[in-house]
Amino acid sequence: MKPLRVTSHSIACAAGIGLPALSAALRNAASGLRPNDFGESPLATWIGRVSGVEDVRLPGHLLEWDCRNNRLAWMGLTSDGFLERAVAARNRYGADRVALVLGTSTSSIGATEEAYRRLLPDGQYPEDLRHPMAHTPHSTGDFVRAALDLEGVVVTVGTACSSSAKAFAQAERLMRLGIADAAIVGGVDSLCGSVLFGFNSLELVSPEPCRPFDVSRRGISIGEAGSFALLERDGEQGPWLLGHGESSDAHHMSSPHPQGLGARLAIEAAFESAGLTPDVVDYINLHGTASQRNDEVEARVVADLFPAATRASSTKGWTGHTLGAAGIVEAVITFLAMEGGFVPGTLNAQELDPACGPQVRLSNEPADVRVALSNSFGFGGSNCALLFGRDTHA
Amino acid sequence: MAQLQTPEEKELAGLIVSALNLEGVDPGTIDPDAPLFGAGLGLDSIDALELALEISKRYGVQLKAEDEDNKRIFASLRTLSAYVQERRAT
Amino acid sequence: MPESMAPRYTAFVDGVAFWAPRIPGWTVARSVLRGESEAQAQPAPRPAPGLLAPTERRRAPDTVAIALEVAVGACENAGADPRELASVFACTEGDLAITDYMSETLAHTPTLISPTRFHNSVHNAAAGYWTIGTGCMRPYTALSAHRYTFGEGLLEALVQAESNGRATLLVAYDIESRGPLATMAPSRGIVGAAVIVTPTAGARSLARIGWSTARGTERTAPLPRNAELVAGNAMAACLPLFEAMAIEEDRTVRLGLSPSLSLEIHFDFPTGNEGRWS
Repeated sequence: MKPLRVTSHSIACAAGIGLPALSAALRNAASGLRPNDFGESPLATWIGRVSGVEDVRLPGHLLEWDCRNNRLAWMGLTSDGFLERAVAARNRYGADRVALVLGTSTSSIGATEEAYRRLLPDGQYPEDLRHPMAHTPHSTGDFVRAALDLEGVVVTVGTACSSSAKAFAQAERLMRLGIADAAIVGGVDSLCGSVLFGFNSLELVSPEPCRPFDVSRRGISIGEAGSFALLERDGEQGPWLLGHGESSDAHHMSSPHPQGLGARLAIEAAFESAGLTPDVVDYINLHGTASQRNDEVEARVVADLFPAATRASSTKGWTGHTLGAAGIVEAVITFLAMEGGFVPGTLNAQELDPACGPQVRLSNEPADVRVALSNSFGFGGSNCALLFGRDTHA
Repeated sequence: MAQLQTPEEKELAGLIVSALNLEGVDPGTIDPDAPLFGAGLGLDSIDALELALEISKRYGVQLKAEDEDNKRIFASLRTLSAYVQERRAT
Repeated sequence: MPESMAPRYTAFVDGVAFWAPRIPGWTVARSVLRGESEAQAQPAPRPAPGLLAPTERRRAPDTVAIALEVAVGACENAGADPRELASVFACTEGDLAITDYMSETLAHTPTLISPTRFHNSVHNAAAGYWTIGTGCMRPYTALSAHRYTFGEGLLEALVQAESNGRATLLVAYDIESRGPLATMAPSRGIVGAAVIVTPTAGARSLARIGWSTARGTERTAPLPRNAELVAGNAMAACLPLFEAMAIEEDRTVRLGLSPSLSLEIHFDFPTGNEGRWS
């Protein structure tokens, strides 16, 4: 495929709001995880909570979309000058020529949960929550459309943990076919009862901060984030999307394919789409959720496919598992690595699982990252691998 | 020939069938010594979690994934029922 | 207003499927939509997902059941192997019954969430079950775009077919809403609809379509007697496409993609047995 340039990107996550804050946290090995303090009777776990979401006030004309997810979206949009760049792109290309493809897993469901807690005696939602667009999967997509006044393709991807990685692929195809000249991709997922208690019911949640690929890992730390990227055919600056690959595990809803067959297919498809081979990759941002099975399978896949010198890490020890936003968050971390000349380690891990090959790194290392791979493997067996480059050629 | 179920086993068999939506399975026909997981009823890890939830709601007995004894406890209707009866709060 | 700069592409419809309680299945739906027969008076019960192995089948919620019913139906209609198809699953509101259940349970006894129902609550549950049931390792996606879900789903299927050069399955569905959520996300009944689109004509292709995006708010309305068969369901916007496939007359169908953008589908049906596409 013809590479696309990421001309702007932004982030609001537990490890930092704005790229400079996140970059500092990565360099300083400063995890954004904290003991769970979300909601009433919080579970004994650790979370990646973004400070200040509660204090966000949306502009008056956007109040009908008000909910935690969309406040977090607003934080992501208004970080790093992204909103201005997005509006400039809209004006340059035309409002109908900028596509919007966002990933999420639970969208605005927190608002529905609150409505049920505060139900009126007649079964109605309390008046302050009586906004239909705050109680639907497409809530954040529609919110960002309204916030940026976009008139083109607008769609929400809901494929669990691969959602906002797949958004890149979907947007690339729209631009390739001339349906859009630019695209805003990204993802937003926020803390809510559904994910905390839901993943808890599957016993996938760790009682301590997650430690991906560690031999003693005990599960995931759920995080929230809002993060965006602007894709154009070219621009003055920014990394490039070189390729993408997608596949299905076709195995089980909540366990990955035991041989990582789907993951391999997605990674191979990404290389084919970019016209590259594994030996040119300087850094892999692994999915690495710290669940028993994902990490075991992913470690083997990476050990099989990549040379020993390829550096790899999971960065979920900084941000938590941001679910539908994981793809974009980890793409942004990959961009920071490229721009900053370093590779983040696998924060919180101490002793690597023997399944890991030499690629998985515990600590930050200086590195010249010209080409990077980012993996996102979702619940329900949906896999996406993205290849990014500092330049259009490896 | 299938062994007879005790009244407690019969009640637990009914809970298993309804909790896991085992269509077409008559709870009274579940052999108390047959495997629940893998072979026998063919239940899987999600079923184990679902069952643990229903057992905690009905009997007040907690079962955790990390319990090393789980293989033994969940081996059959008989072993599961014995475990539950030993510890039930309700 | 300047002309839209979006190019037009050609694709072919290889298979269709449809399910609504009074027109359960494409054979009956096609006949009713053409006006050749009456819809059945008694609504049919939700279909049973025969595709799934017993373990998955007993867990499958209504969304999965209806999605798989029409996915299987479209593959049978087209004579297509499901394992060869990339797929797009489009659902407006997700599993409304599970959302109601989750919200209700979280409000009272959050630690007693059913793991089965939670793992079925993901927007890609139907897509996951489909690929597990068929052993298909091609990519799937699961989308929503509120009232534009069907249009965006079809666009994505067409875009994938064109850019990947291969047949793509679209499965669209929505179920009935329950509980207090129904006041915010109303939806009645169960509707499932599926179509297989390809970039090149096959021996069994049913229609050729020229498609493009276009600025505008015009949307094709179905015939009123047909509209009532899916009225109130969150996926009702799919009907004009299937009405066009049933009636088999060359026409243009406009589906909404966003408030001011539409997907235009120009239908071209084969005439005679020889030289099908003029």
